[in-house]
Amino acid sequence: MASSMGARNSVGQLQFTLEVPFPSQREASIAVQSLIPDCEPRKGGITKTLSVSANILSVKWTAEEARILRVSVGSFLDHLALVMETMDAFGRIVQQ
Amino acid sequence: MTVVIGFEGSANKIGIGIVRDGEVLSNPRRTYITPPGQGFLPSETAKHHRGAILTVLREALDEAGLKPADIDCVAFTKGPGMGAPLVTVALVARTVAQLWGKPLVGVNHCIGHIEMGRLITGANNPTVLYVSGGNTQVIAYSERRYRIFGETIDIAVGNCLDRFARVIKISNDPSPGYNIEQMFIGMLYIYYDAAHKMLSSGQCTAEDLCFSLQETVFSMLVEITERAMAHCGSQEVLIVGGVGCNLRLQEMMGVMCEERGARLFATDERFCIDNGAMIAQAGWEMFRVGQTTELSDSWITQRYRTSPHSAVKNVHWPDQEHLPGDGCVCVNNQEGT
Repeated sequence: MASSMGARNSVGQLQFTLEVPFPSQREASIAVQSLIPDCEPRKGGITKTLSVSANILSVKWTAEEARILRVSVGSFLDHLALVMETMDAFGRIVQQ
Repeated sequence: MTVVIGFEGSANKIGIGIVRDGEVLSNPRRTYITPPGQGFLPSETAKHHRGAILTVLREALDEAGLKPADIDCVAFTKGPGMGAPLVTVALVARTVAQLWGKPLVGVNHCIGHIEMGRLITGANNPTVLYVSGGNTQVIAYSERRYRIFGETIDIAVGNCLDRFARVIKISNDPSPGYNIEQMFIGMLYIYYDAAHKMLSSGQCTAEDLCFSLQETVFSMLVEITERAMAHCGSQEVLIVGGVGCNLRLQEMMGVMCEERGARLFATDERFCIDNGAMIAQAGWEMFRVGQTTELSDSWITQRYRTSPHSAVKNVHWPDQEHLPGDGCVCVNNQEGT
């Protein structure tokens, strides 16, 4: 089950963390490699960091404004869902 | 045998195609069509592609009768194009490349058009007119790289036609340009039969506007292409890109070519319009000479010049220094020259 947490940090920026478990480390690693290459749109005032530890994909955002954070998180979740659907639809086949 | 799958989704078409050594094995495609008077926006286009892409991928494999194990390389459009749709497609391409353990190749969309045009028509060393909703360029291949000899300084000709279509609310199905052309054709026959009647009434119809727009804009394209041909000493023209489907443009270009003793090459709507197989074909060219894209370099880019950073270096075009199959390997280009 994914978990998330949001707060304001010491310099008043908004912070949001998302942790997504995958069935295996391999799948978490594939997901992060697919998601990392495209930069955040240059709206400024937002950073996003992706990392993998064992089978958990972690994403951490810092943002100046709630609106920008919301757009970025929403967009990331769409992308993540697409990657996961792709793995579900075409990942099992590799076992043949 | 080399089999490449290509993913394309830089504008409102999502297409996935499979090519094996110059043979197109499958090329399914879906088009995001908006109501008359409306253009297509990045986020909605991305949503359309997201909804269709896995189905289209399944179709591409099934129609080709292939399994993922049969694929040698995964090609995708790195750019240019609209950001959100490009990302959607790149995500799936990167994911399947990793799932299937295949190398990834990031392709320039414009090069995809050109390489597919050359494959389908057999054009030898043409002056290329690349005209679509997003691009308007005159290109030739010289000294081992693509060179832009002319291009629009404001908007692409297809974009111009599309925006005009929105103003007078022409349907976007199957595409605005196609419907402008149909109205133009209708106008042509009316003019043949009742020219003086229309002229004396002094009234302007939508058909009149379509006619005028096409004639004006296409004349400009033909003239620029002719100048490029004179400059390059070229005897062939290849038209690629969605606007290349337009039969009037082909007709006008044909007249110019005939006057110069040159040959005209064009493809039909399967390959003029954005499709996956053209990306697969360009990817095949790149893969053959060992050009692949690391995952960390596979970011998409909305602006991607056809020259000098285009990826397909060392491609064997006849009439250049090396001929195919002679065993030579072309020296890498130096960037920035």
